[in-house]
Amino acid sequence: MKRKVAALEKVDADLVSLQYKIRRDPKSYAQEFYDQYLAYDAQKQIFLSAPTTASAEDVKNFHDLVDMIAHVADCYPEMSGQFAEDLKALITQHHATLDPELREKVVGSLALIKRKEIIDSTSLLTTLFPILVSTPSKSLRALLFQRILSDLREANSKSINHRLNRTIQTVLHNLITSDKTSPKAIWAVKLTRELWKRQIWTDAKPVDVMKEACLADNEKVVVGGVRFFLGGDKEREELEDDDSDAENVDIKRVAHQVGINKKSKKREKVYKKAVEKVKRQEKKKHAPHPLNFSALHLLHDPQGFAEQLFQKHLQNTKAKLTLEHKLLVLQLVTRLVGLHKLTVISLYSWFAKYLTPKQASVTSFLASLAQGTHNLVPPDALEPLIVKIANEFVSEAAASEVAAAGINAIREICARQPLAMNETLLQDLVQYRKSKDKGVMMAAKGLLSLYREVGADLLKKRDRGKDATIGLRTGEIKNRKFGEEDAGGIEGLELLAKWKEEEKKRKRDAKEANGEGKEGEDSEEEEEDDGWEVASLESSDSGGWINVSDDEDEAPPPKKPRTDSEAPELVDADKENSEEDAAAALQRMTELATTSILTPADLAKLQELRLQAKVDGAMGNRSNKHVKALAARHDDDGLTAEQIELPSKLRKTTKEERVAMAKEGKPERGEHKSTQAIRRSKKDAEGKSTTNKEKARKKNFLMTIGKAKAKNKRSLTETRRVLKGHIDRSKRGGKRGNIGC
Amino acid sequence: MGSSNRKKNEKAKDFKKAKLRVGKGKPQASNFTDTSFKSKAIVVNQQSLSETAPDPVEQFKHNLSLASSSRSDTQRKEALAYLTTQLSAKPPNNPVGTSAILTKLLPLISDSYTSVRGQLLKLFRALPPAGVSPDVEKALMYVRAGMTHLSPEIRTDTLNVLEWLLDVAGDEVVSCPGGWMKTLNSFSAMLGWNPSIGNATGSKGWTTASKATLGATKGGNAQARQIQILARFLQAGFKPDNQVAYDPQAFWDNIYRMPRRPNPFAYLNLFGPARDEEGEMYPDRESRQRVFYSRWNKAITKGLDEAKKEGGAVGRAAAVLDQTLKEGMGDYKGEPES
Repeated sequence: MKRKVAALEKVDADLVSLQYKIRRDPKSYAQEFYDQYLAYDAQKQIFLSAPTTASAEDVKNFHDLVDMIAHVADCYPEMSGQFAEDLKALITQHHATLDPELREKVVGSLALIKRKEIIDSTSLLTTLFPILVSTPSKSLRALLFQRILSDLREANSKSINHRLNRTIQTVLHNLITSDKTSPKAIWAVKLTRELWKRQIWTDAKPVDVMKEACLADNEKVVVGGVRFFLGGDKEREELEDDDSDAENVDIKRVAHQVGINKKSKKREKVYKKAVEKVKRQEKKKHAPHPLNFSALHLLHDPQGFAEQLFQKHLQNTKAKLTLEHKLLVLQLVTRLVGLHKLTVISLYSWFAKYLTPKQASVTSFLASLAQGTHNLVPPDALEPLIVKIANEFVSEAAASEVAAAGINAIREICARQPLAMNETLLQDLVQYRKSKDKGVMMAAKGLLSLYREVGADLLKKRDRGKDATIGLRTGEIKNRKFGEEDAGGIEGLELLAKWKEEEKKRKRDAKEANGEGKEGEDSEEEEEDDGWEVASLESSDSGGWINVSDDEDEAPPPKKPRTDSEAPELVDADKENSEEDAAAALQRMTELATTSILTPADLAKLQELRLQAKVDGAMGNRSNKHVKALAARHDDDGLTAEQIELPSKLRKTTKEERVAMAKEGKPERGEHKSTQAIRRSKKDAEGKSTTNKEKARKKNFLMTIGKAKAKNKRSLTETRRVLKGHIDRSKRGGKRGNIGC
Repeated sequence: MGSSNRKKNEKAKDFKKAKLRVGKGKPQASNFTDTSFKSKAIVVNQQSLSETAPDPVEQFKHNLSLASSSRSDTQRKEALAYLTTQLSAKPPNNPVGTSAILTKLLPLISDSYTSVRGQLLKLFRALPPAGVSPDVEKALMYVRAGMTHLSPEIRTDTLNVLEWLLDVAGDEVVSCPGGWMKTLNSFSAMLGWNPSIGNATGSKGWTTASKATLGATKGGNAQARQIQILARFLQAGFKPDNQVAYDPQAFWDNIYRMPRRPNPFAYLNLFGPARDEEGEMYPDRESRQRVFYSRWNKAITKGLDEAKKEGGAVGRAAAVLDQTLKEGMGDYKGEPES
């Protein structure tokens, strides 16, 4: 290399300057390009005659020529017609033996001529992908993977390139299905996952690719596929959040700088760019959220998939997955079963042998079992498992953590299928609420409160509590039968309707208070005149898709009255009253659902209200972090081992954690300094200036002494004038006033 | 105030005399730096530890490797000079064989130093002509790369190498795969007599392809030389095939005897990649004439006319070329009508 640099000084012409000249005037330099194309051809022949033993010099020459021709090939499409094919053949045949630098250059050149639209994406990707799959070199794989990814991103940046996507997805699908045992399919998994994460592929086809990966025979591929289903969507959301956070331009700062610094075209451009960027960000922020379905929902035939997964990797005794990977597969299977309410009966009997405290990571098994339960699972299938958990985990002899985990697991299962519990066992388990261990106690209490809601008659009378007893007596609480479902409707919609009404009322009140009562009445009358139209008008008034949340921020909704009015409703003892209420609620609900279209903002509010109602219902009005977290859990989210173990981890924080917590949000104290000084140095570091007060304090004494002396010699009238002037200025807000120019 | 005592102590410490003790060693100075190091092995780079003088074979190989891969140009030149003396000694001392030498040294054709290239040519001339012919195809690749090199000096010097090749193995040069068409391509690029450039750029302007930049920067002298070598090349190509007297044995030899030539079935192209028209081999005079006529005749005649008009050295060289063409293509009847 060094020798070559020296040589360039010697030889008066070099390829870089030629490339530059060609770029500027392609027609005049056609001859030179032709020469170099011939040189490239000759070098290629030299190289191909002995690709493995080519000397460093030859490789270097060839490298340079390839580089030059790739950069200017678009100027002479006829002369360099063979170039792309040459490169493709070269990299396809010799990628294993090529010099790494040359290899990189060839890949780069291919990408370059693709960008110059000499070849298209499809041909580039179909060249690179087979190499990615087959090459033994790690660095080349990394390079190719990155290239393929960026090319796909680029191809989909302006508009979605369906044709290309379909081609590539088919290639990936074939790669996985053609040879189920080969580890090459891992690349299909990686690529799909990455593109899913970046929301380039969001339809059912990549999910299908991943499904095939899950059913492969290679362990790595299987795990890759399973992990995608378990975490791919979360990853996607996180990336989206990151994107929106990143690179916030401080437009005020830029504008300020433009105002102060010397004006130049460059600065102007910078400012324009910043403004544009901010605008784009705003637009992006306000753009309607793309409706992306999660991978689990896009699955075609989840029942078949879950059954195949279960039979292939779990039930099959010849499957040789490690425990960790088995757990992942199990998690996916149960997630599918729970989410889509599938019926895989043999799954439950399979669980039986893993439900012992000595089983490694048993809490994960317990979580999976609970996750795989739903209200359509036959209670007969679950009952033996619950009995087994109770026998194995919950006893006086067992460690408190074990017992807590057992009871928690039972609670989670029963929350999903309450019919799986029998009376004696439940009453026995509820006794543990008197346990001395906090974890066990809390777990048992959780079970108790659960059954007060879903099956109070299984409890002893004194355990039922007030609400449940009353509910049972009035017949308000009825036990669900197996397979019984609620009549259709949108959960919590009546809450939304009520909230909307209250909002409206509040606004009207506010208007009246402002003396615009008349108008308010008018609008009210109008509303009553033609209900349907105004309802939609109303929503457009409040800003349509986004701004609804805005006026929430401005005026926080009155929380107190709402919760107050709700709580009695839930506990209301009067039967007639409750019936009337229910009828009214149903009517309200249908009205809202049939007369207006719910905007995303509405849906968000609905979710919030639903949550609040859940929390209130469970805990009265006590706010408890744990309960809130429990209520906030979405149906789509899986159950994790931590949630089973949670109460057993109630021990206090360590000292370090407490110290860290105490330190949080306070300035760093490297040395002993006053708070003022610390604040000052922080400001300095941020490049902020001092306040007038600080300037005055720091001012040199000798500079102030003259004025101080003169002050002593003032006459009374002078003093008065000065004082008056001071008061006047402070009222105006400074010499020039502070009322905005 | 608390620290002043400590500081006082620290200051006082500087003036205290360190006590020497038996068996303890000297106390180390405050600015002492540990320079000792540990290593599992000692590697002595590029140093021969042999006590006897290297034997001539080793020396030859060493010089060969120096010539092909040394960073310094003088070293390369000197190594080449050493090799040349060895090869031109009587009897020539060549322990590695001509083929190995060529493989190693051919890349030096496009070396950036004139002195190295000059010495290389001397070395080539010292090689036994018989040993060169098997490697002509490989050598031609480098020659072609050199002929289209960016630097005019290298182009000119490469012509010398081609001339040498024509001297020692003229037949092989024109008949090896790619030897005829591709080399002619390179010539046309060198001289700027190119039929395809105008079409490629789509310009049908009144100027011909530029000769201003690379091809003829060194004036007519270089161009004359190029035309001269082209004439020699064409001479070699159009040399009438010598009639072999009929030998009844030849037929049987062909069938039952091991062939004596290197790579006797090259025309079948059993192992290489598929060849196109340019890379094809044109083993006999007639096929060469045909290809020349269809692809080059027009362009070269046109260029030739212009060159003749220039007069001087170029004109003289053009006259020689003209003569060669007349002799070589005189008996060509054109494409047989079909």
